[in-house]
Amino acid sequence: MKTGPFRAGSIVAALALIISACGPSGTPTAVPSGSTAASPAGTTSAAPSQADVSFAPASLRWYCCLGTGEDPAQIPTEEKVAAGFGQKHSGSSLKIEIVTYDSARDTLSTQIASGNGPDLVGPVGVGGLAAFDGQWLDLGPHIQKTGYDTSQYDPAAVEFYKSDDGQIGLPFAVYPSMLWYKADMFEEVGLELPPHQYGAKYKMPDGTEVDWSYDTIKQLAKLLTVDKNGKDATDPAFDPENIVQYGFEPQRDDLRGLGAYWGAGNLAGPDGKTVTIPDAWKDAWKFWYDGMWKDHTIMTAAVAESEEFSGGGYPFFSGRVAMSLNFLWTTYGVADAGKDWDLAAIPSHNGTITSPLNADTFAIHKDTKNPDAAFAALSYILDDSADELLQLYGGMPARPDRQDAFFETLGKSEGFPEKVDWQVAKDSLQYADNPNFEAAMPKYNETLTILEKYESKFATTPGLDMDKEIEALRAEIQQAWDAG
Amino acid sequence: MTPLARREARQGYLFISPWIIGFLAFTLLPMIATFAFTFLNVTLAQEQPLRFVGLDNYARLAGDPQVWQSLGVTFRFAALWLPFVVVVPFLLALALNSKYTKGKSLFRTLLFMPYVVPFVAGILAWQQMLGDTGWINDFLRFLGWQRPPSWLFDITWIYPALVVMGIWGIGAGVIINLAGLRGIPTELYDAAKIDGATALQQLRHVTIPMMSPVIFFTIILGVVEVLQYFLVPLVLKNGTGEPGGSTLFYNLYLYKTFFNFQQMSYGSTLAWLLFAIALVVTVVLFRLSRRWVYYAGER
Repeated sequence: MKTGPFRAGSIVAALALIISACGPSGTPTAVPSGSTAASPAGTTSAAPSQADVSFAPASLRWYCCLGTGEDPAQIPTEEKVAAGFGQKHSGSSLKIEIVTYDSARDTLSTQIASGNGPDLVGPVGVGGLAAFDGQWLDLGPHIQKTGYDTSQYDPAAVEFYKSDDGQIGLPFAVYPSMLWYKADMFEEVGLELPPHQYGAKYKMPDGTEVDWSYDTIKQLAKLLTVDKNGKDATDPAFDPENIVQYGFEPQRDDLRGLGAYWGAGNLAGPDGKTVTIPDAWKDAWKFWYDGMWKDHTIMTAAVAESEEFSGGGYPFFSGRVAMSLNFLWTTYGVADAGKDWDLAAIPSHNGTITSPLNADTFAIHKDTKNPDAAFAALSYILDDSADELLQLYGGMPARPDRQDAFFETLGKSEGFPEKVDWQVAKDSLQYADNPNFEAAMPKYNETLTILEKYESKFATTPGLDMDKEIEALRAEIQQAWDAG
Repeated sequence: MTPLARREARQGYLFISPWIIGFLAFTLLPMIATFAFTFLNVTLAQEQPLRFVGLDNYARLAGDPQVWQSLGVTFRFAALWLPFVVVVPFLLALALNSKYTKGKSLFRTLLFMPYVVPFVAGILAWQQMLGDTGWINDFLRFLGWQRPPSWLFDITWIYPALVVMGIWGIGAGVIINLAGLRGIPTELYDAAKIDGATALQQLRHVTIPMMSPVIFFTIILGVVEVLQYFLVPLVLKNGTGEPGGSTLFYNLYLYKTFFNFQQMSYGSTLAWLLFAIALVVTVVLFRLSRRWVYYAGER
């Protein structure tokens, strides 16, 4: 099995640590060419990072969205960025194809299998790159040929995208995780707001100071889950069939990600062939399951996908969830949650804090017919359009010198509260999961399908014996890995 | 062969050549290719060198729990769906063919209209209607059912939900049955009435035997459709098999093996298993049809 672009999941953590350790420079950066007014005023961009190299005019296809980018509100900006490439390079064009995330992998597989693969793919995360391991162009020769300046990035960040296939990506965006919360809901029931500083204690209603942990979250979630009669989940008269506000919502896109909030890990054991489910992940899944079916403080699948609570994306966007764990990229839709949300520290589990990290890049399909033009488009996106796209995707720049300006502009987004504590996002990088939960594992896509099946089962079926189910999950994945 | 006969034969072959070319290029050759793939190790990325693997893919198929689970899903759905797809269009056609039914043209049109609605749009509309807070549950609550089913999120109710969606689009089946009913010679009914047959007896001894070829045709189409059932779970649940794997039909698993897991050889093996199942079921149905299907023109 190829190790993929993250052969040491520790490189992800190193990436996060380096980005967080390198403080923002005091030197303002210019607004790059092609950026919109959303770019911070008074900033200057770095000079374009590639030497002028001519390439044969080409019509290029930009495939989105193995990661973020599908939201209708994002598409006009993406199309504008794509059109900007044609304006910059006369005779060439870049056309973006939007495929919803849910079907993006299948559609891309179909295109590649039929010999109709796109040129450029992105934004794509660690998982997306792993799902198409072996399909990406080695950018090394093009970096050399064009003199592209990789020194603008930290070497570890560049190294992060090296795989057995070569340099398959360049750093673009990182998305740390935080606890997103609705301050009004806390204030309404007289609860102290969650701590923003990592390591800080929390004061309970009775005055006791406790660790900011998932045990605390569980208690708060009960107080913040309310039925239509105004009873919370601690009240004997609480009606779990008519809940109007939920106390807690984990990040449930992926069982691995959900588990990673409790502790870092990877399904592949040290030998790379044995399935080992980290204990922290088992604890997380049980917490989630009990939250849905016993405490009723977390939505079941039926509720989470209902029009009333889905928020058109994530339940927190509905404005009916008091606390939610999620990545920075949820800024794309969080304005719908109201104007009282803010960011807090991720809780600890057994004394350990973990803030799972997503990282995005753009990659070129190895069978592109126009590798030179595709690399020019990649450079254009990473340099000329980076500020614009990072704002759009809510991606923290991988380049530390751009982070402060990024948050300053992000904070001015329409519908956002006047003051959001973005420092929490920067601090969260210190606790990035190592190994990253999306790191390589055997039979990547098949394993994801099995995980999806069990995730759905947990979210739709009460009365399960979770220990038995988790063991069944482990056995099924092991069988898939052993099948050859 | 005379020159004229030869010329006629040449012309005949010329006219059917487009079909022959299409059959060879798009059916026979791909079938041969996929059969060859079942003995190789073809994947999208082709990380390993291409090689002959013998019966490894078939051995893997035999031990793959997902294959048997997805076949179970398919057969469970078939057991519920096939009776509906055979009986309901027949009953509706009977009603439309009755002299007592008023507004036949209107009903015919209304029954057929869902068939022309774009399939995906129809599924998305049903997704909203069958949601926990959708119109159907709102109506059931209005009728007094306080905790109506979670149609799309309960592994028990998902199959009835799929059947309901399927019944909505049976317009074509109704038209086929109606055409069959209209083709029954009225003399048979006259003769039956003279012999004192009641309406039910006419149904049993005239209508159903004369309709048996159409019913058989509907059964065959229904079996093929259920074995190929794919688009509804793909659109409704994004191909995830939710809830809890209950919509991971065999054809969907086959698709995922090709385009999600990128395993072309193993996917080809699954495809050939599907072909074998369809062939066996069809042969059995044809053999059984000799006992109950009556062809008026048969000698």
